[in-house]
Amino acid sequence: MKRIPCTGCSLLCDDIIVRSDGLFIDEVIGACLKGKERFDQLSSSNRILSPMIKKNGVLEKCSWEDALEKTSEIIKSSSKPLLYGFSNVSCEAQLKGIELAKVVDGFIDSNSSICQGKVLNIAKNTGITLTTITEIINKADLIVLWGANAAESIPRLLNKILFSRGKFRMTGREIRTLIIIDPVKVASFNVMGVRDIALQIQPNKDLELIRVLKEECCVADSISSEGVAGLDRDDLKRLILNLSEAENGVIFIGQGVLRPQSESNLVGELLELVQMINTKQEKGRISLIMMGGHFNMAGFDHVALSTCGKNGGLQFDKHQLIDTDDNIVSKIDNEDFGCSIIVGTDPISHLPLSLSQKLATKPIIVVDNKKSATTSIADIVLPSAITGIEVPGTAYRLDQVPIELKTILNPPSNIPSDEELLTKIIDKINKS
Amino acid sequence: MEMILNTMRMVDHDQAREHSLGDEKSLEEHLPIGILNPKDFKKLNLTRSLHLTVSNKNGQIIVGIKEDEGVPQGTILMPVSIWANQLTSFEKNEIIYKNITVNVEASRDPITSFNQIINSIKSN
Ligand code: SF4
Repeated sequence: MKRIPCTGCSLLCDDIIVRSDGLFIDEVIGACLKGKERFDQLSSSNRILSPMIKKNGVLEKCSWEDALEKTSEIIKSSSKPLLYGFSNVSCEAQLKGIELAKVVDGFIDSNSSICQGKVLNIAKNTGITLTTITEIINKADLIVLWGANAAESIPRLLNKILFSRGKFRMTGREIRTLIIIDPVKVASFNVMGVRDIALQIQPNKDLELIRVLKEECCVADSISSEGVAGLDRDDLKRLILNLSEAENGVIFIGQGVLRPQSESNLVGELLELVQMINTKQEKGRISLIMMGGHFNMAGFDHVALSTCGKNGGLQFDKHQLIDTDDNIVSKIDNEDFGCSIIVGTDPISHLPLSLSQKLATKPIIVVDNKKSATTSIADIVLPSAITGIEVPGTAYRLDQVPIELKTILNPPSNIPSDEELLTKIIDKINKS
Repeated sequence: MEMILNTMRMVDHDQAREHSLGDEKSLEEHLPIGILNPKDFKKLNLTRSLHLTVSNKNGQIIVGIKEDEGVPQGTILMPVSIWANQLTSFEKNEIIYKNITVNVEASRDPITSFNQIINSIKSN
């Protein structure tokens, strides 16, 4: 029996008990369905166990030597390699990814740049008040899920933050108020009690709501009798009362809030609202947590910031970091790349069709441990060990706390970790 | 009928799980699905044996149908997946995964297969 953190999502639950005979996992205790499935990946038939190179349109198994040779050949013959993903790998692998980008004068970005990284970029102007899961458990009296389907995307989150008893919240759930703001009655609505506030807002009306709340912060009783965004005036008054009187409130920001800036500065205005409330507040404060899904999405932001002073969109030229406003979307849209190196993610599934089509026009090298839409069109597939089960490392939890990942089994067929694999690619490129 | 498409992560329709543990059949069972309010289901004259053609200027897909009272009228929900991403787009370097205008119609045609989508990406 061993207690290890789960890498099924960004909550990195560190209370999972795993029983193993050293060859197989016999039992997983304490994980949610999503976490249990992370462990099931070990023996899945979709697991990639051998490197593969595409020949005559079909991926064929090959030796590591041939795969690394071909990888180096593609990268060296490409003028602008694009490196993308890195949110499902350890910080150590993320660091190697940045080193590889530097060696090959490439561009590197993580999934965060189309997700929570947007909040960090906006917060450069406004500032941001963050908190930790431990502080929420011990002190929070108000939890707001805004456009965040916590029950389905981070299944054990509510269990930890809402139902747990804390040092200063000994009565646990009874003293915590849950507010959900979402146009869809998502699964999280099902845990609501009588003191909670369910706000099923009209689609795309979040900005109106934020503006009314900001106004109400300045001038009390400014909410019109019809309410706003399909929400009742009394519910809105209860919302503002809870936000302004919470001792320790936290707003979880989900994908529903991460709208394009070209549509509206929704995140910026939300950050301003939180600042306004905190300035007015005399006894407490409201903090924010971003709900990135991948287990180490926050890690790339930290690694990139600490090594390059920028949390994503890193362009190297003559082995030096240069200024750019590009992100993964603009690089692909402008076809400003010669090949792509995709690490631990599936852009062909999660990017819009027109971007997938452009990505597919250039050679694709995938580093991953399982099949995906991207591996199905890749030119080279390099298998890596499963981080947090077969290889250790560091990952940043969604509350920006670093967690040490452990191992319970050795990887099959001596498959390297993402970090080792990226090191091998760098060595091969440097030697050839 | 014009509707608003929102993509969402859902535990029962999870692309990461299907790619890790499932096969093409389970991908096609769980991911190409449109979830509608029962009132919209009626408005579109749908029956359980029919499918939905969801289209906009970005693309077109045929998906299965599910009803859910929690979905607001005028909205169609789809799990985050390669199917939904045939309809998403981007603007000023940001991807638009929510509030996408789509046209939704009943269809007797089969659900768009994974291979059809992969081939359309490869053949571009
Ligand atoms: S909530 Fe996330 S980290 Fe916790 S057990 Fe489930 S998948 Fe694993």
